[in-house]
Amino acid sequence: MQRSARTTLVAAALTAAFALSGCADTGGGSGGSDDTLDIATLTKPQSLDPKVANGSALPFFQAVYDTLVKREPDGTYSPMLATEWSFDEAGTELTLTLRTGVKFQDGTAFDAEAVKANLERFKKGGGADATDLAAVTSIEVVDAAHVKLVLAQPDPGLLFYLSDSAGLMASPAAFAKEEELKTKPVGTGPYRLDAAKTVVGTKWVYTRSPDYWGEKPPYGTVTMSVFDNETAIVNGLKTDQIDTALLQDVGQQVSMKSDPNVTTTDVNFDFQGILLFDRGGKVTPALGDARVRQALNHAVDRETMLSALRQGRGEVTAQVFGPETAAYDPALDTAYPHDPEKAKALLKEAGYEKGFKLHLPRVTAIVNDALASSLKSDFEKVGVELVWDAPDAAVLQKVFVNKEYSGMVMNMGLDTVDGIVLRTLVLPGTFNMFGTTDDTVQKLVGSIQAKPDAAEADLKALNEHLVEQGWYLPFYRMSYLLVSDKDVKATPQSGMAVPSIYNYSPA
Amino acid sequence: MLTFIARRLAAGVFLLFVISLLAYLLLSIPDLDVARQLLGSGAGQAEVAAKNHELGLDRPVLVQYLDWLAHALRGDFGTSWFSGEDVTQALRNRLPVTASLMVSVTLITAVASFLLGVWAGVRRGAVDRFVQVLGVAGYALPGFLVTLVIVLVFAVQLRWFPAIGYTGLTESASGWLSAVTLPVLSLSIGSIAGVSQQVRGSVIEVLRQDYVRTLRARGLSPARIVFRHVLRNASAPALAVLGMQFVGLLGGAVLVEQIFGLPGIGSMTVSYTTRGDIPVIMALVVFTVIGVVLINLVVDILIGWLNPKARTS
Amino acid sequence: MSGTPAPRRGVPGRLLCHPLGLASALVLGLIVLAVLLAPVLAAQGPGASELRDSFRGPSGGHPFGFDSAGRDVLSRLLYGGRTTLGGAVLSVAVALLLGVPAGLAAGYYGRWFDGVASWVSDLIMALPAMVVLLASRAVLGSTAWVLMVVLGFLVAPAFFRLVRGIVVQVRGELYVDAARVSGLRDARIISRHVLIVVRGPIIIQTALVAGVAIGLQAGLEFLGFGGHDGAPTWGAMLNEAFQNIQRAPLLLLWPGLALGLTSGALVLLAAALPDVLEGRGGSTGRAVRRTAEAPVAPEPAARDERAALLSVRGLAVAYTLPDGSDREVVHGVDLDVRPGEVVGLVGESGSGKTQTAFSVLGLLPEGGRVSRGSVLIEGQEVVGLPERRHRALRGDVVAYVPQEPMSNLDPAFTIGAQLVEPIRCKLGLSRKEAAARALELLRMVEIADPERAFRSYPHQISGGMAQRVLIAGAMSCEPRLLIADEPTTALDVRVQAEILELLRRLQRERDLGVLLVTHNLGVVADLCDRVAVMREGRIVESGTAEQVLHAPADPYTRGLLDAVLDHVPARPAWRPRKANA
Repeated sequence: MQRSARTTLVAAALTAAFALSGCADTGGGSGGSDDTLDIATLTKPQSLDPKVANGSALPFFQAVYDTLVKREPDGTYSPMLATEWSFDEAGTELTLTLRTGVKFQDGTAFDAEAVKANLERFKKGGGADATDLAAVTSIEVVDAAHVKLVLAQPDPGLLFYLSDSAGLMASPAAFAKEEELKTKPVGTGPYRLDAAKTVVGTKWVYTRSPDYWGEKPPYGTVTMSVFDNETAIVNGLKTDQIDTALLQDVGQQVSMKSDPNVTTTDVNFDFQGILLFDRGGKVTPALGDARVRQALNHAVDRETMLSALRQGRGEVTAQVFGPETAAYDPALDTAYPHDPEKAKALLKEAGYEKGFKLHLPRVTAIVNDALASSLKSDFEKVGVELVWDAPDAAVLQKVFVNKEYSGMVMNMGLDTVDGIVLRTLVLPGTFNMFGTTDDTVQKLVGSIQAKPDAAEADLKALNEHLVEQGWYLPFYRMSYLLVSDKDVKATPQSGMAVPSIYNYSPA
Repeated sequence: MLTFIARRLAAGVFLLFVISLLAYLLLSIPDLDVARQLLGSGAGQAEVAAKNHELGLDRPVLVQYLDWLAHALRGDFGTSWFSGEDVTQALRNRLPVTASLMVSVTLITAVASFLLGVWAGVRRGAVDRFVQVLGVAGYALPGFLVTLVIVLVFAVQLRWFPAIGYTGLTESASGWLSAVTLPVLSLSIGSIAGVSQQVRGSVIEVLRQDYVRTLRARGLSPARIVFRHVLRNASAPALAVLGMQFVGLLGGAVLVEQIFGLPGIGSMTVSYTTRGDIPVIMALVVFTVIGVVLINLVVDILIGWLNPKARTS
Repeated sequence: MSGTPAPRRGVPGRLLCHPLGLASALVLGLIVLAVLLAPVLAAQGPGASELRDSFRGPSGGHPFGFDSAGRDVLSRLLYGGRTTLGGAVLSVAVALLLGVPAGLAAGYYGRWFDGVASWVSDLIMALPAMVVLLASRAVLGSTAWVLMVVLGFLVAPAFFRLVRGIVVQVRGELYVDAARVSGLRDARIISRHVLIVVRGPIIIQTALVAGVAIGLQAGLEFLGFGGHDGAPTWGAMLNEAFQNIQRAPLLLLWPGLALGLTSGALVLLAAALPDVLEGRGGSTGRAVRRTAEAPVAPEPAARDERAALLSVRGLAVAYTLPDGSDREVVHGVDLDVRPGEVVGLVGESGSGKTQTAFSVLGLLPEGGRVSRGSVLIEGQEVVGLPERRHRALRGDVVAYVPQEPMSNLDPAFTIGAQLVEPIRCKLGLSRKEAAARALELLRMVEIADPERAFRSYPHQISGGMAQRVLIAGAMSCEPRLLIADEPTTALDVRVQAEILELLRRLQRERDLGVLLVTHNLGVVADLCDRVAVMREGRIVESGTAEQVLHAPADPYTRGLLDAVLDHVPARPAWRPRKANA
């Protein structure tokens, strides 16, 4: 081998390496500019097909797709693509009056047919939206500007759903090519996706839609960047590379709270606790006895947990209904004071003086070291052995389908609509997979569903009954921290952890 | 030489094939239940089954693999199950980020390690101890601690460099430089610590060789002996370590990319692997193996160039 | 080399003389001891948690305070060390067990096994660790131990490649060949000859891999891949502290310190161990290698007439031992070489003859120095001479022909390049002129195809040819004094004769002064005009070759002479040559 050949080879290798590094697209924010809003988040959407929209990923969709109904930050409903809506007397027919003259970004007109096409697609799609729209049996086009939703039974959550992911309207013309819709969303929304600048998976870039039917959107460009951890987000906020983000980690929250260059707002969206599914005692017989469940509720030291695990950022609670619901009773928050002696007495009464063994699956993202060991030691003090099972990817299958566990520590969003709490947590279903119920529950639920508008007393009674029966073991409502730059005003959104895309404006 | 490269490349292709098969089989061992993860806890059994069918997960593993292989051979790595990213596109976006980190770190490591290692190996004494302590410190400090301190000092406090984000080299050379400086610095410290010790060891070893004494007996200057003869002979083992370091850097990249919020493949690896996003993982595996094969090839060629004895074997 | 004094002490004793090694061994020992005694030292169990105490600072009985779950940090540190260090030991053991035997076999036997093993090693290295860990977790469970076994498996190629690489190099070496020829079984050769060579690097690598394993464990915890059986590890503690870095940054300190100290001590120990095992001083080198003091006036007895070319008087060589003391190995040697004269310096190995030769060249090994005496080369005193000026003498006044031809050629350069380099540097010839001269030299040393030899690498030529090349190299700058250190010992008998003949011819043609260091009296008889016999660092007898060989005065010389005559019947009949002087 000759020297020149060798040198060339090395040079070629280096060049190739650099060429590789050359063709990258951009990342990172440009937080300085006033016309651009840089949002950071930990949640990324599966795709931009509205069929998979959910929870904290909703803003990705709201930018492009409008919902039928707009949910204001305080939880009231206001017109969006639907200008008016009304239920019939029985609450089984919802008629929507649609905004006219609105076109999708591909030029297709928005009308009753489009609404029907979207809702039917959701129902067929099998995801969360199908569950939300389960009560809707048919969608009837009255005329181009009116559509009627026929329900099997009254659904107090319907308007909420239509202001959430099940209300996102995409151009029916795009349904023919579903694959394309995943990356080329077509809605009627305030922004359009800038596909050229978007790097799917890390950064989505939206630009102001020039022909938006509503008020001119406040920002020329909105970027949503996805990060793996809040350390990077906090560093980005501190260096002005990010305008706004919601912080869940309490340590990161505290570090931003002391930063004078940002505005912070508390958001109480999730509660944390053990959902005790096994009230029938099928997996863990002891749990079939209400006194045992009450004992566990007395065993945990909520105040200490809140101050140690969340640095006091939040409110202890023993109920699953949130403050925005009618069923909420502040007194129930402290229904189970920390009382190991009482817990022992209750266990003794129930015949479990020597305690029992309780297996719970440990999802490390939720149950960190501190929570795991503190629960373990709290239970140990009343004689109950808590065994944390190593997590694996099939944990959902084991919990929800195989019904292998008696309970699970979860972070649950605090729903704002009583009916939704009822559906998700009380009635047989996903989070009541053993289908437990009792006479009191059945009676109260029956009367609540019969007259949903005058059910406050029954709801409160139901809530109290559930707390008394120890159906759940909630710890506390957690405070998250919405952080924004001084020149961005961000308002928390009722019913969502993160603000809606409409809740940002230049300060 | 060309036959050597061709043979190695052929072996590499075979290796790639075997590893992709192994990886696919390994991935199917844990019951990752992708469909349920996608549909959420509320989905019914029938929906899960339908989703599994849609993803092709209801077929035998080998059939799944062959299907994947058939597509991959045509350059189609499919779409991420969880983020809907086109995998080929995603890698095109992300590979350069990680590659530019790794190449920069390797170059810096090579230069710095050789300087430090030779300096310590030749001068010994206090200089040697200084380099050793430096090496130990760089080696013993946990990587993420170093990274965090670097971010806090140079990005958050001093604001000399951005704390997060990436700018492509073609887009803006200065932007790229400022974006990668801190990540590269973070990764280089540990890497230099390791390789410089290897260089030092090799240099000392070579200095003890008989031929070095003979060269001195011919009246050659120490500088000439060190830079022409010692360095060349000490390079081979150091290069081997450097090559391994390069492969190991991918692990370090995971951490650094997460802390700096860099959209590279490192940050992609963990989240997608634990969830079982087979299209993404398989593409990552393929590119990692290609990288490893190429690096080993380059190292072998360089070692062959440095060490004529290795050329013939 | 023959005369380096190796202090014969046990490994622990030698470790005592190595401050850095000693310190790191002590630190490691203390850490291991503390961890083993965890049940005694710890205030409470590693899992005992009192949430009320979370993040509380140090207090009585809890010197490091409490972590985020209200667990005693010291207790967790002690118990965590068991998992962490035990895991590291496990990883290293697995990696060693897999990597070393495979590397030995692949390197030694080569062929198909080498091919297969190397391929498997490449395979393991290229295997995506994350995927392997995930799968192993599903199959074997996710305890910290399983993780470390898998990790050991994944790092085994590091040992394999290291061992294989060294063994491949060693396999071709003469001594292994010799062992093979002499009929030793492979297992014995591997254990006696090969293992010795790879031992040092393996030990270094082991310490490094242990450090890496400990670090990786921490990294895996960080990525959420840690053991989930609740066993505390330093990695888990570090990760937990990292999550609370905003609230209690001090929590990072203890596990960080434990990890840092352990891996730091491991690295330092790794650096020290080869020195300790081979009995070298710790940080010897320039710092210790004192320049020789000004020449001490020669002893009165030796103050006679001094030779014009080389004159040594009262030369003493001393080595600094690792503990700082001195040990003299040459005690006052007198020696003269006149122009055109061949002087034999005879003695068995360890007698100090090579040390004497190196003193003249100014090339004593590390730690050695001329402690007394005077060395005149062409009338110039070289003891105490600055290295730069001494160097100026080497090559064109004094030249050197070494003992072992193969190891004295730089394997990375062609023969031509190695000949051309000193010619250009010392004589300042152009590249072309130097190449022409190198070829001429190769012809002069009777190499059949000089052009071919010029282009060859050292491993492509025979030992005899290599010795001719070295002689050519020594002659390249027209020296007047040649120091030949056992120039024929490593060669077979037929080649020995040829090389001796060559040396004799060159000596005559160029009227060289030669100092021939040898233990072979046959060679002395063949070549030398005068002889000095050395024993235990002193000259016991000197005189003309005829005198010493015919009528040895010293019983030691007589003993040497008898041994030669008994053992080398194949040598041509001894015929005394006329002294030139």
